[in-house]
Amino acid sequence: MTPFSLAMNVSTVNQSDCPDVTVPFPIFFAIGVVSLAENLLVVVAVIRNRNLHSPMYCFICSLAAFNTIASLTKTCENLMIVLAENGHLQKKGSSETKLDDVIDSLLCMSFVGSIFSFMAIAVDRYITIFHALQYHNIMTMQRAGVILAVIWTTCGVWAVLMVQFFASKFIMICFVAFFFISLAFICFLYAYMFMLARSHAREIAALPSSKGRKFRRQWWRGSMRGALTLTILFGVFVVCWAPFFLHLTIIMVCPLNPYCECYRSLFQLHVVLMMSHALIDPAIYAFRSNELRHTFRKMLLCSEWRQCS
Amino acid sequence: MSAFHNRSQTSARRSDYVWQYEYYDDEEPVSFEGLKAHRYSIVIGFWVGLAVFVIFMFFVLTLLTKTGAPHQENPDSAEKRHRPGSCLVDIDGPQDENDKAFSRPLLSESRSYFHFYINEEDRGQRKLKPEEKTAVKQQESFNRPREENKAERENDLFSHFNIPNFVNLEQSSNLGEEDLLYEPSVILERQAHSQDTHCDIH
Repeated sequence: MTPFSLAMNVSTVNQSDCPDVTVPFPIFFAIGVVSLAENLLVVVAVIRNRNLHSPMYCFICSLAAFNTIASLTKTCENLMIVLAENGHLQKKGSSETKLDDVIDSLLCMSFVGSIFSFMAIAVDRYITIFHALQYHNIMTMQRAGVILAVIWTTCGVWAVLMVQFFASKFIMICFVAFFFISLAFICFLYAYMFMLARSHAREIAALPSSKGRKFRRQWWRGSMRGALTLTILFGVFVVCWAPFFLHLTIIMVCPLNPYCECYRSLFQLHVVLMMSHALIDPAIYAFRSNELRHTFRKMLLCSEWRQCS
Repeated sequence: MSAFHNRSQTSARRSDYVWQYEYYDDEEPVSFEGLKAHRYSIVIGFWVGLAVFVIFMFFVLTLLTKTGAPHQENPDSAEKRHRPGSCLVDIDGPQDENDKAFSRPLLSESRSYFHFYINEEDRGQRKLKPEEKTAVKQQESFNRPREENKAERENDLFSHFNIPNFVNLEQSSNLGEEDLLYEPSVILERQAHSQDTHCDIH
């Protein structure tokens, strides 16, 4: 059994003072469906609009695609579990376990893939700021395509390995270590970018003119907004992903400890958090772009009124 | 009755078996007696730690913002600062001391960087440096009538220097409400299409 199917099975409640917290299925379904719709919208918008065929939007599209897969498979898994609990499916049937394995592979792939996409987005922004002159030479569409192909292949291979060999602690340690390393990497990149842009803006605001004061105010306001945005970006990532990874760590480190068991009892909440990250991601990355918002409006409104070309 | 009891026991055992996982099979149930701290102490500790971390990160960023406040008046500060790769760099070229236009120090650049940009840039949209100077001087001399042009140039200038939206100046509202790090590609595209040849990042 893999950790994702751990969620829906109830442990021996009688002996535990920390009963498993169960999240009702409608909530899972609602989150899954809404995040599926959002991310699918982002993917379709990026593909359809030619203006959005740039490396940055390719990475955002890849992130949205991974989130789409995650929402889809999680919703399917919920459906399967509901059917199984109502007796329509066997829990231990061979086809069900195979399907369960496929679902877990896809989930694992999408989780790892979204982390890789975050890293790709962060590196892309880093190159935009620090190597702005050579940006179009460094990050061509071909390179972006190669990077995305590598990401998707790596995720697929890693997911299959993870699910096959999940019992091995080494794989789980790799998974957790990968999460923390990418967290530190993204944190470092964004903090560095923030500090450079802050000093850059400080120079602009330090100019000698009557407008200097106005720009100082705007500098301060801009930097504050930058700080808030960075906090949201990073904070949401950490808050949504860390609980699950702590769960994996705890499974490895202290399976018998009662404190650890009480933490493990909240597994479904942690999975809900991870799914809601797929829900929040478009708001943080994709919907901030004017061009993308414009494309959405055109797609949604034009499909109703058929007035747009 | 006994058969039923046996069957229910078997089925109960079978269902017990179904519900258990591989790693928990040979473990005894966890005992909750004699706990010193609260049961959910790990959970509480984790979330408190996470909240503290996020808030701490926010305060560190805002502290960086506050302590980095620019000086009141220092016309030389921008010129003396040297930052490789940026065009707001140590200005080695000749400076016009009487120049009051705030955009002046940003436009003039050292020869080395200018040639570097020439070698890098292949779009052929950049004017020569003397032309830049004349453009700036003209702008200064016709200050009043060219107020709108100047504002426009300032807009473009600051949108060029608006390293992804850290400084979201109200004038450069053509970037909309996008914030930090969201639209670097827009910046680059605008740079690509712009006619102005400021000391350009592009």
